[in-house]
Amino acid sequence: MNEKMEAVLEVKNLRKKFKEFELKIEDLEIPKGFATALIGENGAGKTTLLNCLSGVRLDYQGEIKYFGKYVNDEREKPENQVRESIGCAGPSGYFLSHWTVAQVADMGELLYEHFHKEHFWKLCDDLNVLPGGKWGTKISALSDGNQMKLKLASVFARDTKLLLLDEPTSPLDPLMREKLCSMLREYLEAGQGENTVLFSTHNVSDMESVTDYCVIIEQGRVVERGFVEDLKEKYVLVKGEKEDLEAARPALFQVSESKYGFEGICLAENLEKLAGLRVSKETPSLFQISVAILKKYTAIA
Amino acid sequence: MILSQNSGIPIYQQIADAFKADILSGKLKQGEYLPSIRSLAKELRISVITTMKAYELLEAEGLVTGVQGKGFYVNAQDSEMLREQHLRKVEECLAEAMSAARIAGLSNKELQEMLKILLEQSEER
Repeated sequence: MNEKMEAVLEVKNLRKKFKEFELKIEDLEIPKGFATALIGENGAGKTTLLNCLSGVRLDYQGEIKYFGKYVNDEREKPENQVRESIGCAGPSGYFLSHWTVAQVADMGELLYEHFHKEHFWKLCDDLNVLPGGKWGTKISALSDGNQMKLKLASVFARDTKLLLLDEPTSPLDPLMREKLCSMLREYLEAGQGENTVLFSTHNVSDMESVTDYCVIIEQGRVVERGFVEDLKEKYVLVKGEKEDLEAARPALFQVSESKYGFEGICLAENLEKLAGLRVSKETPSLFQISVAILKKYTAIA
Repeated sequence: MILSQNSGIPIYQQIADAFKADILSGKLKQGEYLPSIRSLAKELRISVITTMKAYELLEAEGLVTGVQGKGFYVNAQDSEMLREQHLRKVEECLAEAMSAARIAGLSNKELQEMLKILLEQSEER
């Protein structure tokens, strides 16, 4: 992170052990005022990490500091407003399935000081959670997409400083993904640098236009992190002819070959090692960077 | 502002260029604040870090000044200094053309002739 920037979350030596998997994060900071994408394969530990951060899971070792000051017990003190300031949404159902949409609104009001019912209804309307507007509809009758929209509405209807969203885009259609991106940008703007979003996603391309910082995790470890614009300077996309592959290979971070040539990612600092080879160089997209990094560290052959 | 995703020019560069043109043409005046990085990101539907990089580029070129917590405002433009910058750019480009000409085996006279023709052509347009 840039020295001028503050962290909204600081993770130190976080460990959570399962039978065949361990989340182990020595240090991680999430920059305040930006949108951060958490990227990783299935089973890499994204949800476990988000659950530790959101307090859904408390059986971990290590330290998480919230908003630059609140550690461990401090976050539970009502006067510190940590829970009140964080909004979470994810695939797991934390609304009971026999609740109606109207009951979700009532619960929001009951659980949080700053839940704006009017705004919640407006969001449900904007997001078309219930076509036709039957507020007595049970949650179990809603599609996955509409359930996610309902969760997002209940989160955006509150005054928060930090959103933790686990795979918010996966059940959403392309229009809704676009809408979510707009909502996230509006949220960041409204906070004037105080509002932060952390979301996990497999839809890296769909979310690239709202991703400022990214954290890539693989097998429970952070393998890369950084502001997207910096990563786009750190890594270079190179393409070349097949006959140059063996000469280029030692300089490449990761490479895929086809019948006709190769495409790979090269660290910018190693570019000079490709001098003399006929390769094209391009700025990679976040998707291309992520795929190269995941391929490099994956356990899957 | 028109941003192209596949022009080969990075988005932050395109934004910086657009503001630079507005500043140099006087459309954005001295002391005026640029839109906040987050509102510009919202309007342009791009990430905050991209607009921030565009503004940092403008700051590095001395066109704007960033104030912590307040944003970026347009600097007084020293026309003499700007002209100087442009002259340097012309020199650099000509030097590059000269070295390319040398590689291609062009004589000085041929190079001068080429420049003359190009100048005439651009005048006709």
